[in-house]
Amino acid sequence: MKTICPRCESTGVTQMHAGMENNQILWRVWHCKDCAYTWRDSEPAESIDPKVRPAWTKMKGVDFDSLRQVIPPAHKPT
Amino acid sequence: MATEKVVSLSAEAKAVAARVGSLRDFLAYLGEHDQCVSWPDPVMPEPDIRNISVAAGNNVSTGPAVIFDKIRGYPGKRIAVNVHGSFGNLALLLGLPKITPVRELFFEIIRRWGSDKPLLERVAPEKAPVNENRVDKNINLYDLLPLYRINANDGGFYIGKACVVSRDPLEPDNFGKQNVGIYRIQVMGPDTFTLLSIPAHDMGRQMLMAEQHGKPLKVSVMIGNHPAMPMFAATPVGYDESEFAYASQMMGAPLRLTTAVNGTDILADTEMVIEGELQLNQREVEGPFGEFPGSYSGVRKVPLFRVTSVSHRNNPIFENIYIGKGWTEHDTLIGLNTSAPIYSQLKKDFPEVAAVNALYQHGLTGIISVRNRFAGFAKSVAMRALGTPHGTMYLKNLILVDENVDPFDLNQVMWALSTRTRANDIIVIPNMPMVPIDPAAEVPGKGHRLIIDATSFMAPDNLGADPHLVDRPMGPEIDALMQRLNELQKGGV
Repeated sequence: MKTICPRCESTGVTQMHAGMENNQILWRVWHCKDCAYTWRDSEPAESIDPKVRPAWTKMKGVDFDSLRQVIPPAHKPT
Repeated sequence: MATEKVVSLSAEAKAVAARVGSLRDFLAYLGEHDQCVSWPDPVMPEPDIRNISVAAGNNVSTGPAVIFDKIRGYPGKRIAVNVHGSFGNLALLLGLPKITPVRELFFEIIRRWGSDKPLLERVAPEKAPVNENRVDKNINLYDLLPLYRINANDGGFYIGKACVVSRDPLEPDNFGKQNVGIYRIQVMGPDTFTLLSIPAHDMGRQMLMAEQHGKPLKVSVMIGNHPAMPMFAATPVGYDESEFAYASQMMGAPLRLTTAVNGTDILADTEMVIEGELQLNQREVEGPFGEFPGSYSGVRKVPLFRVTSVSHRNNPIFENIYIGKGWTEHDTLIGLNTSAPIYSQLKKDFPEVAAVNALYQHGLTGIISVRNRFAGFAKSVAMRALGTPHGTMYLKNLILVDENVDPFDLNQVMWALSTRTRANDIIVIPNMPMVPIDPAAEVPGKGHRLIIDATSFMAPDNLGADPHLVDRPMGPEIDALMQRLNELQKGGV
């Protein structure tokens, strides 16, 4: 099954790291390029299962460019 | 205003200052006093580290620091939490018995406060333990640090207790304007992270300057530091005052500094330093993060940094913090150092101020004990407190009590509230500045302040002016009797 982001349900996710134990992969760390959520696939469901995560944490369909800027950029990125 | 006075320390305090030069030294010292434990069992990064951190911090008096060295999937890696998580640990750092009352800790910090005479020792970079290992190619923070999620709904893995050093982008040679602060850092990739600051904070000012003028902003993220450093990195000292200088003077012993590759000063004995550079005008989606008011911050776009190199000691310790719904290590770490500058600033104009307790959620609630010079005087003191640098944003609820009420003893404060408060004599000041992450704000950054005057009445106020207070026995004689009773309870004679 394809891994999707637990928060915004994007498929644009990348494996960042794998934790090893006895030469076996114990867990993997993933990162979403769209909403920047980072998770480990060994975490409790409340953090990584879209069906269990609280509704207020969901970011499916959010326009990320419209998020508030804590320190607005002075110029356009170069 | 800082002075160049030199603080005199007890023999015990000098002994602690002489032997504690790093996080490792402090953990060993805590261990000798049963205030540091190594967790014996293997732990999963989530939720085990979170749960054990909370349990350690629940004992505000004598909760221990906890070291994890059996973290599943991170063989050979180490994490330390709750290092500043109890007043017992802070007391030991100051050379005091670990059962020292919080009020006495407050006055010990006040006694050492106000001097920024630097006690700094320079160490050549090649001789600094932090440079035992250097990584400047194929940097992977996920491999270098045993990262984990602090609270279940955080947006990622946070570095929550690092002390970040940065130079003023327009005056990079000014030592005083070099800032050391604690800011939340979310790892965004193998060699990128966001760092959250606001324009009111020194780091936020430097970010604004750098982007406005197109100047580089280079930072050194110090992880696992001398225990005095995070206490001062989280303290609101003046923009042109050095946190390194304050921390060293507070300990009464030199701090060992060396120079990072990017030119910032760093602690020579720190566990790890991540050097990074602000990516001008670039932002990344950050948060939420379980913050000190006990609620999650929103998801925002926050400045992005790229890592240029990482230096670390052999077998480094990732020191991190549990933060969220209080009481947490965050409250113990910064509480007394939040209270001290407010006290010092008030005391200059109003010598009647006896003590300030701003321990609660970075001072969102503060208790000031003061002797009324005349009727209503305590309210004037409250107004002045709202005008102090920290009070401007943080002091939301202020309770004023008499000078013979210990503001650190909440039973005494409740007595004052019960017997001195008149509901038609409180003050609400609407539409004041507020901490943006305070969930009680009307809109983020703006809300109301509350002043409760629970001091005694005096002429010309006739209401309750004749209370005939009971003269409750107190002082050293009662303390000695309490000690005797304690011994009798343990079976002594």
